[in-house]
Amino acid sequence: MNSVQTTHEPDGTLWGSAWRDLRRRPLVRFCLGVIVLFTLVAAYGEVVYRWNRLRDVTPSYQKVDLERRYLPPGTAGHWLGTDNLGRDVAARVVQGARIAFQVGVVTALIAIPIGVVLGCLAGYFGGRADDWIVWLYSTVACMPGLLFILAISMVVGKGLLGVYLGIGLTTWVGLCRLIRAEVMKHRDRAYVLAARSLGYGDGRILFRHILPNVLHIVIITFSLRFPAAIGTEVFMSFLGIGVQGEPSWGVMIGNARLRLWQGVWWEMAAVTVAILVVVLAFNLVGDALRDALDPRLRARETT
Amino acid sequence: MTRYILRRLLHMIPTLFGVLLITFILFNVVGGSPASMSLGKNASPQSLEEFDEERGINKPLIFGLWTTTRACPDWKADSPGGRTPPRVLAAGQAFAVPLHFPLRPGTRYRVRLDVAAGKANTAEWTWGPTNALLRRAVQVASGNGPQVLDFATGADPSREQPPTFSVAGAATLEGCTLRRRVRHIADSQFVHFLGQMVRLDLGTSMATNQRVTTMLKAGIGPSLMLTVPIFLGEVAIAVVLALFCAWQRNRWTDRTLVVTAVVLMSVNYLVWIILGQFVLAFKLQWFPIWGFESWRYLLLPVTIGIVSGLGTNLRFYRTVMLDEMYRDYVRTAYAKGLGAGGVLFKHVLPNAMIPIITNTVIALPFLYTGSLLLESFFGIPGLGGMSVNAINSADVDVVRGIVLIGAVLYMGANLLTDLCYAAVDPRVRLE
Repeated sequence: MNSVQTTHEPDGTLWGSAWRDLRRRPLVRFCLGVIVLFTLVAAYGEVVYRWNRLRDVTPSYQKVDLERRYLPPGTAGHWLGTDNLGRDVAARVVQGARIAFQVGVVTALIAIPIGVVLGCLAGYFGGRADDWIVWLYSTVACMPGLLFILAISMVVGKGLLGVYLGIGLTTWVGLCRLIRAEVMKHRDRAYVLAARSLGYGDGRILFRHILPNVLHIVIITFSLRFPAAIGTEVFMSFLGIGVQGEPSWGVMIGNARLRLWQGVWWEMAAVTVAILVVVLAFNLVGDALRDALDPRLRARETT
Repeated sequence: MTRYILRRLLHMIPTLFGVLLITFILFNVVGGSPASMSLGKNASPQSLEEFDEERGINKPLIFGLWTTTRACPDWKADSPGGRTPPRVLAAGQAFAVPLHFPLRPGTRYRVRLDVAAGKANTAEWTWGPTNALLRRAVQVASGNGPQVLDFATGADPSREQPPTFSVAGAATLEGCTLRRRVRHIADSQFVHFLGQMVRLDLGTSMATNQRVTTMLKAGIGPSLMLTVPIFLGEVAIAVVLALFCAWQRNRWTDRTLVVTAVVLMSVNYLVWIILGQFVLAFKLQWFPIWGFESWRYLLLPVTIGIVSGLGTNLRFYRTVMLDEMYRDYVRTAYAKGLGAGGVLFKHVLPNAMIPIITNTVIALPFLYTGSLLLESFFGIPGLGGMSVNAINSADVDVVRGIVLIGAVLYMGANLLTDLCYAAVDPRVRLE
């Protein structure tokens, strides 16, 4: 049983072989490229946002110009057209990317530490700690998903903070469950016993020895949670309890939806394509990562 | 079996308590009083207090004897130059505790003033009915430091003079708090909330002024009419397609379906709805756009619901089927000359039933909330549209009711899954 631990690959670690596996597949390479591009666009959006705030001017994506509204795509200076208030659609999509990226990262930064720490503690110590943590996550799991997220952000108040907390505080459950099960399996392995007989403390064993062995679950969860978080943010902003006063993709869909009936399709199309491409890229990379790092997760995945 | 069910029910108690606790923490501790949220910024303190009273929010959180009252919000003077400067009383001047509305009859209150005086003063509290003599005057030996007065209101506090503090010499007031004493130590928000839950009282909607339970009863029918067909259609189509994928595994048909599934699930849900409504109902006029009059109004939302959930389901069921396809019994079945249809339907499908049942049963409670967006987009008067409206108008009781019922249903579904396991799979022992 313990010999399974070592990789069968002649050279390289689990990560190395997974990386080689991913690079061999052109579709995955393309998707990784899309994700890098998305990151760059989000970073560019952040720079534009900060720069405009620093200079204290109205940025192009907020500037109302009724003379130049409903310009179709391909117009000089507005290659994706303008919306009902004459704001540049392309610039707004970039800002949407910035917000989507922020939401994905921040919610992961909330959910992952909670899930990892609680999962590790429950799996490693078992007993009373395990009972409490299982109670906690099975309670949270009972709450009706999206509605609970919406309720949290309603209580916290409209805005990005509500989105962060709503998504972050509800999505750690799946990760916690997986980590707990995995740590339980590792708890009695030979390398843990060896570390223990060397006199290492629980903290060191848990976080320096076991955690690296279960870290791939975190990576996979992150890559699959990211697009889900983006989708939820779009949903919340569309409903009007998410991002306020800034061009998030959800806000844009809400705005574009009303213009669709007048034949103004480009704002809707731009946002739809942006969301589809980003989410699809993350989903495909997440799947590939999962296949490369831990195929068994596919069957055990709950949410 | 009965013992097993009983034990599982017993296990549900801590979870149920946890659900109540999370709900309480979310809506009472973090949320605080929703009064100003729902009544607006300009609501009078009295209407806010009545709102709180009705919902049991004007009590100590978990336990306690004293609680604040909106009749006199706490104030404390800042350091010099701040926004609320200390109040200076000239020699002999009286300070009446400012009240926004009359106190409650027959209730005990405690008022506390933070007084700073240059030197020891004699001070006096007076309060009581205005038309007769003041009820009582308490002589305070030193007018310096915190001045606390415990008093009780009479039968008609609107005709009583509020507690008035007067000092002989000059003094400054640096703070004032008024506390109401509740009936007993357990007269708290938490106990009130638990009591409501025991009575199955989910409160009253602020927007419609209806009982939440009444609203839920009215909304559940349309919600189920929408979600049950979506659910059944989704499972049926996804399982059939998954069987097809399992049969065609790793050929181009299977691969195409898998990629299609990932693309389908990557399209945002909103986009499905908006485009479906726009193209199919508005442009092509195949379906009614909005309303809830006959079954035809449900066709489009149901179709959209099925399509939007198909990708996720297909992927899940395909994984389940493929897990089975590589087992020995499948090879044996093929080896003894059984055709693909026989293997798939007689052998693989029954064995794949367990994860399928788990997945479907656990999805059942989500049916009741309806579809948040489909309902509001297509004007179906169900719980989903109701939730969206309630969240937008911060109708706390409605949101809380729907969340709670959802959680309880989920727990029930969990139990049902385990029972199904026990019934379907002989390997599961009831221990």
